[in-house]
Amino acid sequence: MGGETPPLHDPRPNKKVVMQGQATQIIHAYKQAPWRVQRQWIGAFLLVVIGAAMIAALYLDVTARAAVAGRQIQELRLEITAIQRENADLETQLADLTSTAVMQQRAIALGYRPVQPGELDYVAVPGFAKPEPEILLAAEDATPHVERQPAEYTQSLLEWFDERIKLEVPR
Amino acid sequence: MNMRQHYPIRSLIVVACFVLVGLGVIVQMIRIQNSEQAMIFLSQGDRYAGEFQMFYPERGEIYDRNGHLLAGNRTVYEVGVSLSEMENPDSLAYILGSYLGLTYEEVYKKLTESPESWEYIVIQDYVGVETVESLRQLVQQLNDADDPRLNGLAFKPHLQRSYPEKDLASNVLGFVTRDGRGYFGIEEKYNDLLAGNPVQIWVPRDPNKASDIPRVPNGTTLVLTLNRDLQAKVESILEQALFEYGAQNGTILVMDPRNGEILAMAATPRMDLNNYGNYFSLYDNGSQYNRAIGMAYEPGSVLKVLTMAGALDAGTVRPETTFIDTGSIVVGGITIQNWNRDSWGQQNMIGCLQHSLNVCLAWISSEMGVQSFYSYMERFGLGHATGIDLSGEAIGRLKVPGDGDWYPVDLGTNAFGQGVSVTPLQMLMAVSAIANDGKMVTPHVLYSMLRDGHQYNVPSQHAGSPISAETARTLNEMLAISLEQESSMALLPGYRLAGKTGTAQIPTDYGYDASHTNVSFVGWGPVDDPQFMVYIWLQTPTTSIWSSETAAPVFSQVAEQTVILLNIPPDVVRGQLTPK
Repeated sequence: MGGETPPLHDPRPNKKVVMQGQATQIIHAYKQAPWRVQRQWIGAFLLVVIGAAMIAALYLDVTARAAVAGRQIQELRLEITAIQRENADLETQLADLTSTAVMQQRAIALGYRPVQPGELDYVAVPGFAKPEPEILLAAEDATPHVERQPAEYTQSLLEWFDERIKLEVPR
Repeated sequence: MNMRQHYPIRSLIVVACFVLVGLGVIVQMIRIQNSEQAMIFLSQGDRYAGEFQMFYPERGEIYDRNGHLLAGNRTVYEVGVSLSEMENPDSLAYILGSYLGLTYEEVYKKLTESPESWEYIVIQDYVGVETVESLRQLVQQLNDADDPRLNGLAFKPHLQRSYPEKDLASNVLGFVTRDGRGYFGIEEKYNDLLAGNPVQIWVPRDPNKASDIPRVPNGTTLVLTLNRDLQAKVESILEQALFEYGAQNGTILVMDPRNGEILAMAATPRMDLNNYGNYFSLYDNGSQYNRAIGMAYEPGSVLKVLTMAGALDAGTVRPETTFIDTGSIVVGGITIQNWNRDSWGQQNMIGCLQHSLNVCLAWISSEMGVQSFYSYMERFGLGHATGIDLSGEAIGRLKVPGDGDWYPVDLGTNAFGQGVSVTPLQMLMAVSAIANDGKMVTPHVLYSMLRDGHQYNVPSQHAGSPISAETARTLNEMLAISLEQESSMALLPGYRLAGKTGTAQIPTDYGYDASHTNVSFVGWGPVDDPQFMVYIWLQTPTTSIWSSETAAPVFSQVAEQTVILLNIPPDVVRGQLTPK
């Protein structure tokens, strides 16, 4: 019994190649499946929708914050105006309560009477300077300090002669 | 055809429907936006998109030199009704009428007969806080009970000028009307500074477009040279003097002769500045508002001080120069006599001042000559405005040679204050040269300005040197001696003062009225270091026509209060306190 010698070229398809071909076909078919294309479209659409929604939400958030801030500005402005008015009111009320007529009445009611010249005692306090009123203490002095004008601008001709003569006398 | 084949077609139909509807909406939007009515709607929309609002700065306050508020601002309300929210005009008219002092018919007519386009109507402005609080409580009670009868009622707050001291220094301060404009005094003179600059801004209703408004700086705050307590005392003394001497009106001025600062300026009549509507019942014309600066009059013998100053300075006379008073002198063909028509015999210049001799002073002016006399009067500022920073200053009249109504006799009469008209302030300014070593000061009321936290002080100004310092000191001494020798009622124990009385007949269209006089007094002290000057003018006193019996004692009272309030010790004490 002699064995058969295998042919040099096997006419049967290579199994591995066939399987590869089938896989490629399946993948190709999968890729081209109608439902998959639809899902891709739907996905892209949803992406756009979600993007737009995010932008809209962001925009709404920003504009809402701006609106709230704007409203707060308006309310603060009104509050500032109201406080300024109240401040002015209180100052005037205080001035009403400390007006000359009211203070005089209160002083008399408390038993005080106007001082007479002979009842005053004067004491010299070295270096004492009468304090400036509070309203002036709160402000910064911005008075332009003009340099003193030379005498030539203020003295009359007679005064000038007088000054010259006096200067000449010691010589 | 199976289900799978139907699906795309149905989908397409649905999509087409949506597209059509969408397109329809878009087309309609475009059509509406470009229609004829669109412009109307747009303009209506713009109307409510916002409004131009005028932001008025708070009017600057006015303080006295010690920081006491003289003019401030208080909140008042504009009461109005929002017509679109109004539900019951009957109730609104009834309630507003009773609370605001209006008639029912008046309010009802406003509410129901206003043009249809009006959204809001003002019922009354400048309503006080108390009234508005009562109305608010009523509205709150009705709201709590879901009662809509007062719906639409609105209160808009704003500021109104307020004067806490009421009529104190009213003649100096002036007043502000509801349109925000200042009239008279400081309020008018510094109206632009006090009012500040209003700013008009577009304020959108859309909060997205809301932005901060630019800061509107308040008006400038002014600090005056007035001393509130002294002002009150001086006003009180003036009122008392008018009552005691039966005078018609009067003026008292207190000034620091070293720098021209007005410490007190009282004039009658005064007015509660919070009720400036009384102006027309109190004053016939604007010049009466502050007689110290607005009314010129013939001052009489107080002007002799200026004549003597000129004569001493020109070397025409010296204190010891003697004059034989025969009781009359002829100047320009007219005979001039003394106030009592007597002759006073031999007098020196102190005697001429002490006895206020018209004849002597007419002789002095004649000796000086026309040119010299009027030159000195011009240098003392007669016939010119003092330049005080108050509105409504009169300039008086000094007739000079060359004027159509000047006659040679005027040289004699002008020397004792007749035929020449001055304001009290002009006289005070002129005489300041004698109290201030020959330097005349420009009177002023503004001490300092405060704006944006910065302080701007007002420097004092000299208005020339009409006489030399030596002449001023000599005359100062002469006037002090004449007061002492006269035992004048103007004297103040403990203080050496200088001064001069003035009694002047009142000129009328038919000559001088012999039965009525204007009495004046100008004085200052302490003589060795003058720190205050006082000018007094009482119009037509009835208890006595003489200044020595009316204005002189008033001067003493003012001087007494001035030394107390300005902490000026008696001469003896001051000598001990002065550092050597």
